[in-house]
Amino acid sequence: MRTTVSDEKDYRGKIHKLSRDIMTGWMSQLKAATTNPVPSAYLMISGNCVEIMRCFDILPVFPEINALQLAIRKNSLPYIIKSEEIGYASDNCAYVKADIGFTMCGGVGENGTIPKPSMIVCNFVGCNVYIKWFEHCSQMLNVPMVMLDIPFLREEAPTKEDVAYVICQLKELITKCEELTGKKFDIDKLREILKYSVRAEAGWSRAKELCKNHPAPFDAYFDSINMMGPINALRGTKEAADFFDATIKEYENMIADGMGVLDEERFRVVFEGPPPYPYYRNFRNLFEAWGAVAVQSTYSTVGGTWEFGFRHDPDNPLESIAEQMIVHNLCNRSMIERYKQIKTYVDDWNADALVIHSIKSCRLFSAGQGDMREYFTKELGVPTLMVESDLEDPRYYAEAQMKNRIDAFFESLQYKRLRKGEQVEMGKRGAGMKGST
Amino acid sequence: MTGEKIIQECRDLLDLLPAQILALAREKHPDVGGFGVFPVYAPVEIIHAAGLLPVGMFGAGDKIELSHADARFQSFICSIAKSTLELFLRDEMKEFEGVVFSSICDVARNLSSLVKRNCPELYVEYLHMPQNMYSAESANYARSEFERFRTNLSKQLNRPIPDEAIRDSLKLYNEVRHHTRRLYAHRKAHPSSIAAADLYAVVQASTRMMPEDFVPMLRELCDAVEASDVKPRDGVRVVVEGAFCEQPPIGLVEVIEASGCLVQDDDMIIGWRLFDDDVVSNGDPLAALSNAYLASSVYTSVRHDYKKPRTDGLIDRMKRSGAEAVLFAPAKFCEPALLDYVLFRQKLEEADVPHLKIEFEEKMWTFESTRTEIETFAESMLFD
Amino acid sequence: MQYAAGIDVGSTQAKAVVIDSSRGIVERFLIDTGANVKRAGQRVLDELVAKAGIQRDDIKFVVGTGYGRYKIEAGDTQVTEISCHARGAHLLFPGTRTVIDMGGQDTKAIKVSSDGDVLDFCMNDKCAAGTGRFLAGAADVLGLTLDEIGEISLRGTKPIRLTSVCTVFVESDILSHLAQKKKVEDILAGVHEAIATRTIGLVRRVGLDPEMTFTGGVARNIGMIRALEAKLGQSLNISPDAHFCGALGAALFAMDHVMAECSPDATVGTEPAVWVDE
Repeated sequence: MRTTVSDEKDYRGKIHKLSRDIMTGWMSQLKAATTNPVPSAYLMISGNCVEIMRCFDILPVFPEINALQLAIRKNSLPYIIKSEEIGYASDNCAYVKADIGFTMCGGVGENGTIPKPSMIVCNFVGCNVYIKWFEHCSQMLNVPMVMLDIPFLREEAPTKEDVAYVICQLKELITKCEELTGKKFDIDKLREILKYSVRAEAGWSRAKELCKNHPAPFDAYFDSINMMGPINALRGTKEAADFFDATIKEYENMIADGMGVLDEERFRVVFEGPPPYPYYRNFRNLFEAWGAVAVQSTYSTVGGTWEFGFRHDPDNPLESIAEQMIVHNLCNRSMIERYKQIKTYVDDWNADALVIHSIKSCRLFSAGQGDMREYFTKELGVPTLMVESDLEDPRYYAEAQMKNRIDAFFESLQYKRLRKGEQVEMGKRGAGMKGST
Repeated sequence: MTGEKIIQECRDLLDLLPAQILALAREKHPDVGGFGVFPVYAPVEIIHAAGLLPVGMFGAGDKIELSHADARFQSFICSIAKSTLELFLRDEMKEFEGVVFSSICDVARNLSSLVKRNCPELYVEYLHMPQNMYSAESANYARSEFERFRTNLSKQLNRPIPDEAIRDSLKLYNEVRHHTRRLYAHRKAHPSSIAAADLYAVVQASTRMMPEDFVPMLRELCDAVEASDVKPRDGVRVVVEGAFCEQPPIGLVEVIEASGCLVQDDDMIIGWRLFDDDVVSNGDPLAALSNAYLASSVYTSVRHDYKKPRTDGLIDRMKRSGAEAVLFAPAKFCEPALLDYVLFRQKLEEADVPHLKIEFEEKMWTFESTRTEIETFAESMLFD
Repeated sequence: MQYAAGIDVGSTQAKAVVIDSSRGIVERFLIDTGANVKRAGQRVLDELVAKAGIQRDDIKFVVGTGYGRYKIEAGDTQVTEISCHARGAHLLFPGTRTVIDMGGQDTKAIKVSSDGDVLDFCMNDKCAAGTGRFLAGAADVLGLTLDEIGEISLRGTKPIRLTSVCTVFVESDILSHLAQKKKVEDILAGVHEAIATRTIGLVRRVGLDPEMTFTGGVARNIGMIRALEAKLGQSLNISPDAHFCGALGAALFAMDHVMAECSPDATVGTEPAVWVDE
């Protein structure tokens, strides 16, 4: 393999483009719906029930993806400021602020890029801010909200009442969908949709599994975003299922050719926390300079933890949708469960270190990450780096400080290897001491 | 006891940390155990029926210095989460049988995990209180959550917690809530009859004493306050909103009234006085509690009822209390309060109600700038 | 003679150290960084060479560190100041396992191996709370210089309690204490205590240790030394060269290069004498 880091198209293969194509296809549906209204619904990413929406041909809309797009295109700040002008605090989640600011500026509705939804389905899965966010949308847009209260996974397994409560709410949602669309619920159609979901979920799991290879065929943090759109927003479509088939094929070919995502994979890390979207490329470069590749990440599992084996079940549609929402996604699981997940990643994916990107906006992720750091460094002896910024608000990213910490961390990992007698070549480039294993 | 003496006793309790509160209760009830109750709401009746003193865990104010918790929680995390964790990390809670958290916000939820990991011997419960009040399964679900708590607690203590005992506790806490409502009602009609800071201390005390000891005191205080003949002071009549979880230092509550305001109603310690009516105390007590939670709760920022917006709740609270303005007092970094502020503010502006936002932290000790803000606000209203 | 130099360009001062092949300090020098980081890096090296009485060409390798490290033109390579402080502290006090480095805008706690490698490190959050800058802010409000405040703080008997260690609020906080007629020494004692508390929180994250070394510009402040020692209940290693620790570490890294180049057959990794202090 002789590809270069700077040549984005090359080293990401065709998956990057394929992902963009199918996501753009969905976004043009959103745009079209702003002027030619079709039934549509707001949904949250984590533990969503997009299959039910699809069963009624309701166009799913994800405000989180809207916020993400604004940030990665470096457009988020003016909308965040707009929201702060009407009273949002600097300490509030900037995803909410960007999306609300965008809505206030006419981004949603006839003259925008996102249709005004016919209903707001608040799938409350873990994140308490979701409820507030959707309440605010409901009030601003004057659209009714449907509450889907998903009990948090507070013991090892959900109680039977948790499951009954969620299934009952799903049925009540189905009634609302019937009223909205005038269509009768067709469970066989839902089964067919779920079959596509299962294909995508299997593909997702396989891709994650492939990162156990040395070198890893893709970066399970920075490149996972290419798979997160299809798995979370487009799940249940043939396009998403086909996308994963192509993904697996490409990665398996890379592995057969001994190729990895970087020229040289020197460090394998597990990433915790969402990325700084406003500085996505910049942040990635700081790790690539050290030959560091993410072999697993928790952020990629906010929608679902399929790599641990769960699949939707077309034979038990509502039961399996309920189970996925309660059990099989990162957001509805405790910090303790997340520690276990990360430990599995470090062990089974053979990682050298853990990197925690602590973001101010999302307290679901970040509150208590100091304890996580404590656990991994002191109890497990896993070298852990913790850096801070934000996933949406560019004002929290300080490049010099970020680089300083990342460089120091990899310098120290480098010296640890030196002690083990590995050959090291002294370099004169920006990242300081570089070595090869 | 005179009213003043009762109030002083309540104020004295404010200075105590959970272990001291338990020690004090044990002077009279040698066998009683302690159980921590993190805000906002928890079914304290189940805890009390188990022979335990439910103790409100409202952080540690400025009484302890953080030496461990700062390393676990980042700078943008609220004070109550940090000081509560500090209490657990420094073994302050080792005499307690356990602690219960509920689904109020992401920080509280992660805090429960941190407590559990760092105190592996301690029983840590997490309740997911319903956020959908209207599903056909809501009542069953809520009841099952209380039942799960009873079962776990009972296993932990190795003794049953029978319905009969819970009904008895319900009656006691009904009395606590009833007399608390009496005090609030009397204050609305007679604004200066009890100082906001005194009432605050009294409600705090209800989270720090055995209800059987507290009820007679509270009843006596109510009688005294109702009988007293205090000339109403002048001042801007306000509702204080936003301090439903982390509690302000009592000095801040004093400053609010010293700066020209009269507190007509507030949401401080709202979880312990959540129900606007007595909970049915015959029949299935857990069903009674879940029905009360679903149907008779006053609004709070952590209980979402899409048919009864909290914004309407605030306007209603204002009207019923005869307030003319709102002091919005969120704890620093409190995400639910700070997000709700946006909708509250919009609603208040539509209704042409003056409002002021004053953020606080539990360890804050100087109130000079807050005083200036409130005074300016009050003056602007008085001279309007 | 073969020499190696380290240049540490920090937010307030630029420091440089030159060492010989026995890793002994030949000379050190320090200037204010000022607005031009590039020039500061060059000037401090020039003056160091002059002061040491050696030729520039005798310095075979230069390592740059500190925030300005990429702007040091004389630097042959760059290493972060975290690695450098660990390395420097380890040379000064080989038994040390924890280093506290307090500079202008950063406070760092570094866990060091018996070889002088960084095992773990922690830094303050993004804001400058509880760093040298905070001290400077406090000194400013009181109309004192940075060099005076440490001594004065030792005379405080009733340290005041600060609301926060936020650099933005320190001014109003101190002013309100002055308004309440609090003594300057008590205010300063409170300021040092607040920073010490925060710093120890940071140190805890990497782990306390029986032998700890305090480095960086603030290590010259006796008030901060005493406040940290009081809170830790143990004394700290303080070198007269504490301030130059980062530059010293950089010079040590530079000497590794010099030595590696002397024995071209051996890579650094197979030359343990370079890496392990026996």
